[in-house]
Amino acid sequence: MAHLVAIEPARHQQLYVLPEQVDVHAAGQNLIPVVPAELTHVATQLPVVLAKNGETGQFVLAALTGFTPNENLLLQQGRWQGLYLPLQIQRQPFFVGKATPDAEDYVVCIDIESPAMGQNQPLPAGAELLFLADGRETDFYRQAKQRLVHLLQGEQQRDALIEVLLRCQLLQPMSLDITFADQSTTRLNGLYTIDADKLAALAPELVVQLHQQGHLAAIYAILGSAAQIYGLIARKNQLLAG
Amino acid sequence: MQSQPLHKNNHTAEQQIQTVVIVGGGNAGWLTAGRIAAKHNCQAGGIRVVLIESPGVPPIGVGEGTWPTMRSTLLALGISETEFIRECDATFKQGAKFARWVNGAVDDFYYHPLVLPQGFGKADMAAYWLHGKTAADLAGPLSSFSNDLCYQEAICEQGLAPKTIRHAEYAAVANYAYHLDSGKFGLFLQRHCIEKLGVEHIQDDVIAVQSADNGDIAAVQTQHHGLIAGDLFVDCTGFKSLLLGEHYQVPFKRCDDVLFIDTALAVQVPYDSPDAPIASHTISTAQDCGWIWDIGLQHRRGVGYVYASRYCTEQQARDTLAAYVGPQIAELTVRKIPIVSGHRQHFWQNNCVAVGLSAGFLEPLEASALVLVELSAQMIAEQLPATRGVMDIVARRFNETFLYRWDKIIDFLKLHYILSQRNDSAFWRDNRDPATIPQSLLDLMQLWAHRAPGDLDFTSNNEVFPAASYQYVLYGMGFRSDTSRLRHQLTNWDFATAQLAQNRKMIDQALTLLPTHRELINKIRQYGFQTI
Repeated sequence: MAHLVAIEPARHQQLYVLPEQVDVHAAGQNLIPVVPAELTHVATQLPVVLAKNGETGQFVLAALTGFTPNENLLLQQGRWQGLYLPLQIQRQPFFVGKATPDAEDYVVCIDIESPAMGQNQPLPAGAELLFLADGRETDFYRQAKQRLVHLLQGEQQRDALIEVLLRCQLLQPMSLDITFADQSTTRLNGLYTIDADKLAALAPELVVQLHQQGHLAAIYAILGSAAQIYGLIARKNQLLAG
Repeated sequence: MQSQPLHKNNHTAEQQIQTVVIVGGGNAGWLTAGRIAAKHNCQAGGIRVVLIESPGVPPIGVGEGTWPTMRSTLLALGISETEFIRECDATFKQGAKFARWVNGAVDDFYYHPLVLPQGFGKADMAAYWLHGKTAADLAGPLSSFSNDLCYQEAICEQGLAPKTIRHAEYAAVANYAYHLDSGKFGLFLQRHCIEKLGVEHIQDDVIAVQSADNGDIAAVQTQHHGLIAGDLFVDCTGFKSLLLGEHYQVPFKRCDDVLFIDTALAVQVPYDSPDAPIASHTISTAQDCGWIWDIGLQHRRGVGYVYASRYCTEQQARDTLAAYVGPQIAELTVRKIPIVSGHRQHFWQNNCVAVGLSAGFLEPLEASALVLVELSAQMIAEQLPATRGVMDIVARRFNETFLYRWDKIIDFLKLHYILSQRNDSAFWRDNRDPATIPQSLLDLMQLWAHRAPGDLDFTSNNEVFPAASYQYVLYGMGFRSDTSRLRHQLTNWDFATAQLAQNRKMIDQALTLLPTHRELINKIRQYGFQTI
């Protein structure tokens, strides 16, 4: 469970991050939220689907990484096996939050329960400090904050995309029955994708609109990512074969 | 009201049905207007639907319980379930819990859920259950018919919703209907019908009827909008029954010799706190001279005592209601509503059809009011006569269908009373007097002495209460069919045992998956359902 604390230069002079430990934040998740800007990277290695948030029922855009709720086939021995790590994991252990619940301004927070952070001396190999001795931010921390900005912007673009998909009724539920090499089977429910037939039947002016708003590329990236399911099945078969 | 013959008779057999005039708003008027307008695409300029509503008449506002049919009705009207729930103070209803009906003991209850018994239609599960009950043939301890064979009772007892926020609008884990604020529902339907479905709205009083030579209604005279002509008139004027009752003088057929209840005392009870649990079923608790309904909406409960004034005074009834509600009733307004149980001898006369209270009313024991409106509106919309010439055929079939339905509902309501062992008043004893029981029900009871109710006991292809409903009430009330002679037919005990096991499994799954009713309502208010 994440425990977020607002970062203050004075208090967190000793704070460091272990970049090698960031990947483990993807453990135990078979759906990793993604934003439209990273779809070109994600869609070439994993199926991108839409699913409903369990708490709110609202649609989220996510990369599928396993066939059961806790399975992440991309993570082995705490290492992400893909070429591209989704922003949602890259950003760890940093979050955007509020210093106090009723504060107006946002501040950068760190998850002090994260295995990717520490503050005990001496500095382990590969550790990245957030602040220099004179209190200025390190390049590492500046890049980390930049990722948070990208993520926030991406989440707005994602919400706009989902709103458009729902308004144009371009989503459809997908149900997948999969048989693995050992003949065990699984059924994937609760996932949604783009309805290609409805997309093809879309009025031309609407297509132009989607293109101008930057949604069309995302829509085709999602459609095209469907075939990555075979890569995921192959990973599962490898695992089953030991 | 005057009736003047119109000089020119333009009601010929070839005349097309182009304008439907609905007299009266309220839920009946707007549901009928909406169903017709949606089906015939009024927006695109098909037929016209005009609704005349008396501006000064507040709707009766009873009927807060629906059937699962309301889901298909709302869908047919193109209504978003999220908007409906938010704007009509609506909650989920997963059936009814009948408390203290069997013998009056504090822990005496059974359910009439909305999910069919497990294995129903595949095997005579009731017969297996009746045998297993005595012979312990079915694995696992048996509790009650509704709990052994239906997982919905457990969901209700735990105060859980029939679905999660991840389910699409109108989709469900367990079949459900709604509880709703009748006044808000009427206004919600009105707005939808006018803005989305192209229903024309006239706020005025109808003061006279103009007849054609053939006895049809040619037009209605309004106070300020002159004559409103139409091809079909729908009477939704409530108990007044302005067109069918007053104009056509179609007699009212009372059934208070079967169903004794004639008065309702209704009260709206606020919750103790905004996050108080909401029951996801109607609670009907038997009292000495009737029963109390208890319906949980989002912001309040609707509670009412329906009783037979032949058996107790109004003060006694008020005391009974007060004992149920508790001390806070002192600050609440109790509304008295007289009830005349019964219905018109027929519902469609000439070019006029009655829907809602103008057609009849029965005590709300099984929430039959709104469902009859929905079924009537659906049949009128789907079978709308093309011409005046074929209208008499449609009228005859409509009358046959709905007379059958009213009779069946009366039988089914009476069934709840005749099996009670309560002996605390003449009300309950008289209810068991065979002279007060319709012959059709007496016949069925004789058949069911030897076997469980089955679909072939009923002749309609669209039966209001399916055989499963009779099973829930019969066996819930403690009735036991003597099925000993059927023993040789019961050859698939493995299947029957598996059904009970499956039911236990589904209870476990449902209790893990489903949120509390209040929790889901809060999420619907905050996030809403998706449409897929």
